[in-house]
Amino acid sequence: MPAEQPRGACVSKRAREASARARAAAQREAIRRQEQRKRTTMLTTVGVIVLIAGAVTWWSVRQSASEQITGPLAPIAMQPDGTIVMAKPGVTSPVVDVYEDYQCPACKQLELTSGSTLKNLAAEGKAKVVYHLLTIFKQEPTMSNSLRASSAARCVTDGAQWLAFHDRLYQEQPTETSAGYAVDDLIRWGRDAGVTAPDFETCVRGQKNVAAHQQYSTQVIATRKLAGTPTVMLNGQSLGTTAFVPSALREAVLDAAR
Amino acid sequence: MVQLASGRPVSHPLQSVVKALSWVTTVARLVLGVSLFVAGAIKIGAPAVSVQAVKAYQLLPDTMATVVGHGLPIVEIIVGILLVLGLLTRPSAVVGGVLMVAFIVGISSAWARGLRIDCGCFGGGGTVGADQDPGYIWELLRDAGYLLCAAWIIYRPPGRFAMDSALGLSGSRDPDTAGDEDDEDGSDTD
Repeated sequence: MPAEQPRGACVSKRAREASARARAAAQREAIRRQEQRKRTTMLTTVGVIVLIAGAVTWWSVRQSASEQITGPLAPIAMQPDGTIVMAKPGVTSPVVDVYEDYQCPACKQLELTSGSTLKNLAAEGKAKVVYHLLTIFKQEPTMSNSLRASSAARCVTDGAQWLAFHDRLYQEQPTETSAGYAVDDLIRWGRDAGVTAPDFETCVRGQKNVAAHQQYSTQVIATRKLAGTPTVMLNGQSLGTTAFVPSALREAVLDAAR
Repeated sequence: MVQLASGRPVSHPLQSVVKALSWVTTVARLVLGVSLFVAGAIKIGAPAVSVQAVKAYQLLPDTMATVVGHGLPIVEIIVGILLVLGLLTRPSAVVGGVLMVAFIVGISSAWARGLRIDCGCFGGGGTVGADQDPGYIWELLRDAGYLLCAAWIIYRPPGRFAMDSALGLSGSRDPDTAGDEDDEDGSDTD
């Protein structure tokens, strides 16, 4: 019968349409599932990243946290060459040399970060800390700022007062583009640090120690081959950026003390 | 089916161009990712140094500089790893690009103000000695290059060898790169 042919074709066409619809539905479902899977994967990934970031931040903050000063400081004594030694009596090693410039921002950062660790180590009798004040700047206004401050610090003859003055100078550090460390301020900060010596004011005003400071500074930069300030040396070896990580600095010094 | 049957031979040369371009993305990801990772890895051990490097630009108040100094190495390391893996490629490249724009702004501004600073890009940082050359122009050119990498990755993520593809995180948004995923071809041909 001729009718068979078109009917058969019709059925197969309907079947084809139905199966196409089914395929389309399945495809939509597949896409929906894929989207959902994608969202889950995305959220999981972001979650894992956030967790890792949090852990790393915690570790970074912890290992770089500054110490608190725990007790009385070790005795501080001025040396004839202008360096300052902070050590318990009888402690001669390991030697921690700090080469710094009052005007240098990174030195201020070192002081803020690791200054307390150095004080604690000296107080614990674990190290002999030697401060070397330098002037690395060759341009104005930074050079004069540095020279005025360094000269004034040399006018302080008492160790404890010197350290208080030293810390104050960093607190008051001028920017590198402005004149600072004015003589009047230096005298006032000296008084705040407990300096009562009558000749302190004339010493600061007259910048009497500039020549001695400059001579020492030039000589040290040349002989120690310093790349810059601050440089912290442990038994003559530069600690590099370890000096900026209180926990690592402490560990290095304690290792050397063993 | 009809589309594909007729599309196949036509798209063949195109397909190979697309493939080549996705390799460019991979290279850009490696260049930017490895650089960011190295820059962050050098700095992360001593955040105080990186804080100092940020302060040296004299653009942010001290508290912000402290946050940025601590956070930047972590962001650099994570974004660097993500770019190398090709994971969350486009967002990572956006972050990398934003960082580069910030660096370019910071360095240009330091240059314009006559500050003499070591960018602190790869560790170090702080003031440059009087007789040293800060080399701002090279830093700017380098960062512009990295910015270009970031822009390319944003334009054509995620490239070959990307975890985004393996995890099915890429595709539907970008028809160009979806074409070289094999499951797409497989489902259409039957």
